[in-house]
Amino acid sequence: MKQLNTILLGFGGAVQLLLQSCKYLGTLPRQRARFIEQCYLIGYTTLPIVAILSFFMGSVLALQSGYSMQNFGAKQFIGSLVGLSFARELGPVIVAILVAGRVGSAITAELASMKVYQEVDALVTMNIPPARMLVMPRLAAIVVMMPILAIIGDLVGWFGGALVSKYVDAIAIDPEAYFSALRRYMKFKDVATGLVKAEIFGFVVVLICCSIGLNTRGGPREIGASVTRAVVASLISILVLDYFVTKALM
Amino acid sequence: MNTAQQTARVGLFFLLGVALIWVTFETLSDGKIFKDNGYTLVAGFENLKELKQGDEVRMAGVKIGSVEKTRLAGRRAEAILRVEPGIKIASDATATIVMAGLIGTNYISVDLGTPGSPALADGAELHTKVTADINTIMSEIGNLGQKLEGALASITDSMKGKDGEPGLFQKIDKLVSANTESTTVTLSNLRDITTKLKDGEGTLGKLINDPKLHDDLLATVAEIKSAAADAKIFVTETQGILAQVKSGKGALGTLLYDEESAANIKATVKNFHDVSDKIARGEGTLGKLLNDDALYIGVQNTLKKADRAIDGLGDSGPITAVGVVAKSLF
Repeated sequence: MKQLNTILLGFGGAVQLLLQSCKYLGTLPRQRARFIEQCYLIGYTTLPIVAILSFFMGSVLALQSGYSMQNFGAKQFIGSLVGLSFARELGPVIVAILVAGRVGSAITAELASMKVYQEVDALVTMNIPPARMLVMPRLAAIVVMMPILAIIGDLVGWFGGALVSKYVDAIAIDPEAYFSALRRYMKFKDVATGLVKAEIFGFVVVLICCSIGLNTRGGPREIGASVTRAVVASLISILVLDYFVTKALM
Repeated sequence: MNTAQQTARVGLFFLLGVALIWVTFETLSDGKIFKDNGYTLVAGFENLKELKQGDEVRMAGVKIGSVEKTRLAGRRAEAILRVEPGIKIASDATATIVMAGLIGTNYISVDLGTPGSPALADGAELHTKVTADINTIMSEIGNLGQKLEGALASITDSMKGKDGEPGLFQKIDKLVSANTESTTVTLSNLRDITTKLKDGEGTLGKLINDPKLHDDLLATVAEIKSAAADAKIFVTETQGILAQVKSGKGALGTLLYDEESAANIKATVKNFHDVSDKIARGEGTLGKLLNDDALYIGVQNTLKKADRAIDGLGDSGPITAVGVVAKSLF
């Protein structure tokens, strides 16, 4: 019962924070520098790990599917399999998990520290709402950066699949055939669906992390606990939302 | 890192992301960056089967475009084909929907058409031909299987029998059992006949085994050949004679084919007819001779008198013969 209450409190706090942030959306031009900084931290610095992870995920996907599909002569469809899997499912989920692990944890840690060391209280005292200065720029930055990270993740994953398909002897499919199969069975709608999913996941991750960070109570030990709680809540939210968003976008 | 550098990096990153999204969109939406390349053709089909937007259009196996759109137009389905620029499609070329794989990949195949035919213009309609798809083939195979099953069931029924009726094998068995004796006798007779034939007995045996008969037969055949040759010569000569007769040569030819001779014969027959009429009517010397009894009586009297004179001559002697004749006569 207590856990349920905590979940409901967290959910309510996040929704409240979202509404407050939306109220301050008009102040975004004035917070341009903060917005750019968040874009840099959320997007630019996350790119290498997204690229590396997506590349190897694409490679492994091509390797596994090629190894299995060659048994029944369907390995020419590896391109479409990797393409569709990455665009519709793997790309958005991987990027969202990386954002939760790398960006979300940092946000929670930063906001929890500010809260624990009463910096947030100081802001409130100066009549600066934390939702305006700390949350809204981050939400705006994730909205802008998430599709870009997702599309880069998709493309790098496809490329990794193509490389493996060409150079692994058991598969040995030319990139031309690989991308031809990918194009044959894919529409931009598949990619757009993935981008929308990534957008939703990223937004929810940042909102949860901000909310948990700002609601940290206690001493420095609570900072770590908040980070753990924020990452776990983000991952669970991503996977639960994944099902419903996928179903809604079908 | 200063703010300007950070801003530049974020800006670059953002632009890169937008560019990638745009390239992906263009690549996947119609397979090429620039739209409206080439020209469109309309291909109407009764059923587009598994054909979908983006499927290839091939001519002699070479990709020349793609299916831009599929739509329903009245009672038929239409595929709008976008053909690459520079590819000429003959006005009498025919488009068919061809199955590329068993899992539902199709493409439109356009044949080369007749050389010298005018090329189709933008928006023109292609001739189309219906081909059997995998479902039709499967359905046909299913029907064939059912027919085969029926045929096999009929054969099995006829072999084994059905509804108490004996089967083919039972019938054959019964026939053989019932006629064993007759069959044995027949076979025995056949064996006797063949033995006799082998031993040269009887006419047929001699015909087969006796070389003299063979020689005689050959000689007979040679004679028949000779007779046939003679007959041929005879027929040839007869044909020559007939040809001469037909050409009016010779007596028979003249008789049969000469108009003048025919007229003469007709006139002669008519003369004969007139003479015979006169004779019948007793006209003329011959008519009277034949019809008038007076002449007969006169001749008879004369002969009687001559007879008497001869008798008198015999009695009186030759010296008075002249006087007797004169007396008898006058």
